[in-house]
Amino acid sequence: MNHILDTLLVILLLSCFLLLGTSRLAAAVRMTAVQGFMIGLLPLAIEGGEIRLRVAILAALIAVLKAGVFPWLLMRTVRSAGTTHEERPLVGYGLSTLLGVAAVGAAFWLDSRLPFSAEAHSKLVVPVAFSVMATGLFLMVARRTAICQVLGYLTLENGIYIFGLAIVSGIPMLVELGVLMDMFVAVFVMGIAIFRISREFDHIDAAQLTSLKG
Amino acid sequence: MNFWQTILPVLAALLLAPLLPGVIARVKAAVAGRRGPPLCQLYFDLWKLLRKGAVYSRTTTWVFRAAPGIALAALLCALPLLPAPGADALVSCSGSMFILIGLLALARFATVAAALDTGSSFEGMGGSREVQFAALAEPAVLLALAALARASGTCALGGMFAGTVGPLWQTAAPAVGLLAVALGIVLLAENCRIPFDDPNTHLELTMIHEVMVLDYGGPDLAFILYGAALKLWVFGTLLVNLLVPWQDAARPLAGTGVLIVGLVAVAIAIGLIESALARLRLLKVPQLLLGAGALAGLGLLLIVRL
Amino acid sequence: MVPSFYLYFALALPALLALATLLRLSPAAQLRLLAFGTAGVALGALPAVIRVWAGCDEIVAAQGWLRLDALGALHVLLLLAVFVPAAVYARRYFGVEIAAGEFSAGAARRFAALWFGALAMMLLVLLANNLGIMWVGVEATTLLTAFLICTHRTAGSLEAMWKYLLMCSVGVAVAFMGILLIAAATRHTGMPATSALLWTNLMATQGKLDPALVKAGFLFLVVGFGTKAGLAPMHNWLPDAHSQAPSPVSAVFSGCLLNSALYCILRCLPLAEGVSGNTGWARGVLVALGLLSMLVAAGLLLAQRDLKRLLAYSSVEHIGVMALGVGLGGLGAFAAMLHMLGHALAKPLGFFCAGTIGQAYGTHDLRRIGGVVRQAPPWGIGLVLSLLALIGMAPGVLFLSELLVLKAAVEQQAWWTVGLYLAALAVAFIAVLRRAIALGWDSSAPPPERPSAAAAGADAWLLTILPLVLLSVLGLLLPMGLAELLLRAAMIVGGAL
Repeated sequence: MNHILDTLLVILLLSCFLLLGTSRLAAAVRMTAVQGFMIGLLPLAIEGGEIRLRVAILAALIAVLKAGVFPWLLMRTVRSAGTTHEERPLVGYGLSTLLGVAAVGAAFWLDSRLPFSAEAHSKLVVPVAFSVMATGLFLMVARRTAICQVLGYLTLENGIYIFGLAIVSGIPMLVELGVLMDMFVAVFVMGIAIFRISREFDHIDAAQLTSLKG
Repeated sequence: MNFWQTILPVLAALLLAPLLPGVIARVKAAVAGRRGPPLCQLYFDLWKLLRKGAVYSRTTTWVFRAAPGIALAALLCALPLLPAPGADALVSCSGSMFILIGLLALARFATVAAALDTGSSFEGMGGSREVQFAALAEPAVLLALAALARASGTCALGGMFAGTVGPLWQTAAPAVGLLAVALGIVLLAENCRIPFDDPNTHLELTMIHEVMVLDYGGPDLAFILYGAALKLWVFGTLLVNLLVPWQDAARPLAGTGVLIVGLVAVAIAIGLIESALARLRLLKVPQLLLGAGALAGLGLLLIVRL
Repeated sequence: MVPSFYLYFALALPALLALATLLRLSPAAQLRLLAFGTAGVALGALPAVIRVWAGCDEIVAAQGWLRLDALGALHVLLLLAVFVPAAVYARRYFGVEIAAGEFSAGAARRFAALWFGALAMMLLVLLANNLGIMWVGVEATTLLTAFLICTHRTAGSLEAMWKYLLMCSVGVAVAFMGILLIAAATRHTGMPATSALLWTNLMATQGKLDPALVKAGFLFLVVGFGTKAGLAPMHNWLPDAHSQAPSPVSAVFSGCLLNSALYCILRCLPLAEGVSGNTGWARGVLVALGLLSMLVAAGLLLAQRDLKRLLAYSSVEHIGVMALGVGLGGLGAFAAMLHMLGHALAKPLGFFCAGTIGQAYGTHDLRRIGGVVRQAPPWGIGLVLSLLALIGMAPGVLFLSELLVLKAAVEQQAWWTVGLYLAALAVAFIAVLRRAIALGWDSSAPPPERPSAAAAGADAWLLTILPLVLLSVLGLLLPMGLAELLLRAAMIVGGAL
């Protein structure tokens, strides 16, 4: 059992709860930054003793992007959009947190029915990956502001990345870099999109984008 | 020998519990740059109150008069259920964790019933808040204890900690950490400390616990104050037992010493927390308690899986 | 010349053109660059396609990471057949806006850059031999095309863009999950990680893959890429994006974007089938999704009051037909390839005409457009005839392909499929025909606000008549060469005659 790895994973879970429980956009963005940093450290924790250069580069890249560039971009969007709080979420924060715990439970159950954990580095990796993914999807559905939805997308991606770490030992570097690049562009594009939406509508409440129907 | 090592913690609780609020007050005063009240202030208060007579409002009934006694009795009954680090409890039966929760609930029920009995809207409000928060805090404690019960294979508080916590810190440190944080949050909430409630506040609208006991005086108030100190001792003991995996078969009596030192440390920590934090808005309290429940639940899940 | 050079060339050309658009050009010059550049890309990519068409099994480049086989060649061919007319049409479409002063140089530059970028990424999807690279391409097209939707910055287009971005990004994220599962399935094949995700290697070692993981991965990939392909029930973004985008973009969305996402699913299909022991499990998934898409789209077609949304839901229906055809396999797969060809000819035509008529009338509301056959001759005739072609009127390629899908279903005695398929086709037929008649000959509707926008010209006649002629001629007699290419493409996904 790898103590550092487990601690990282538990912090990841906690960051999910905090994401679910906060209404302040800036705090949520910071929480995603923490999550990104933990994600960056994960490959190092999994490698344990000897750390290969490739893994180190990847870890550094991920940490810089997810804990530095993305939060910076999103923080700028938060400031320029002039919204500080998520108002009127579709699901309240208390209930969201409880659902988060339920999701963790479900993730453990799901993991016990799937064969991945047997070969994973820690029994926690796969359930944590599932919970993080569920948190991301939930945020995208249950929050109204465009920023929270982007945060949800980022969290979903983080979950998928953890899952990838758990079950795949080596996806080629080229693909990993491509994925990372796409993530970067995705957040960048979404940031610009939020900016445009907020300029057009004077708000970033994506729930009011409902004129197109049928 | 075994008898002494189990009865010593109880005696210590009876004698030293009123010391803890004094420690907290001194720490807060020191941080704020004041001298603060003497460490033994609560002993003086209790002595003073016990010598006074009691005045009862004519609208109250026997419920009001019985409540302080019931609450104190419940807490006194809870003391023998708790072990010192590395030792067994004086009364150790299967399922004593549920008895502990039940006794705490009984004490709370008595206080809330008395508050409602006064017919005052302030006290009713305090009672309603107390119950609302307790309803959220209790599951958190239960989940945390359930996690330990799962790890130790027993529901007796006595056997739950000794010999279990130590190995658990080695195999599932993150999980135990979560439980400790959850218990810590509940400790603050249950004992009306900042950030949940300000024991020194003088504004009835924002009080939770204090507002319920506004109508008491004399020996009744002494019972209530002593009971509050014991409650802090009870939760503190749980926390110390969880945090200190101390076990030394050669010197079982030293467990009580460890317990007292640990409790003083907990009191100092509470004092520091109270100095650093502001009271939460009442609307935010349930959220924090839910968070504690979430942490405890997560800890339970981790322990179940590992 | 070394064949692999063709592939590099086909990929590099649009990327270079995307850079070229950053030059400071006037909007009209940008649009000229767009049209000629796209034609240039087509000329650059055609040699590779023709080589494969002429009988070469596959062209491989970059140590196997790029590869063009018959299935890819067919898709590249259709991609070019949509992109080139769309670029030509974009000149006309935005020309009207330039005349009205609504299209700035900056907007033109952005549009052209994104256009070539999207073209390059779609080509990458079709040429990539690696599952991961393919995923990168699909995600990149999502991001690049998002801003093409809101070329005109209106509330509606922003909403459509946001929906598109969010839904397709999640979809593509789900697809990545599927890729991870398939990568996990290769653990015991003994292949090095760098080459395990190459399609050719996956297919070669399918006996050693973990079937459960591949099945799970296939489901994730179908849901993920299916979102991008507009398969119901993940199609919600599609009508909004298609109706709010400028018409040349709508045409590209319908004719290329959906196909390239479906192409990814088609690549997975033989793998999932092979690994699960050819039990028809993976095909069943496609049949179910195809039928569901057809039924949902047919129902929603009935309620449409917006011309471009009508065309968009028709795309959902046609993607459903393709999925169904491939799912049926055998003759059905061949029919699906033929259907893809017909759809790539008819749907862009529909969007071109709808765009111009929308500009002339100032609306896409079906209740306020009518009698277009007389009011705006080439475009009106093109619109009505393309709608008729899309609902499978004979003679037309789509009639033939839908008939062949039906034949495949009947041969397999899948009576439920036959029943639902015919029901969906019938509902769609009635829904669209009703609108088409009113559009073409209802003289009670008000005349166009800006008739000059729909002026006839040589390019107008060429853009409308050429696809119509191709549609009907190919429906009547399919040249042997083309049929052979379709068949070879179909055989890759398990087709036969």
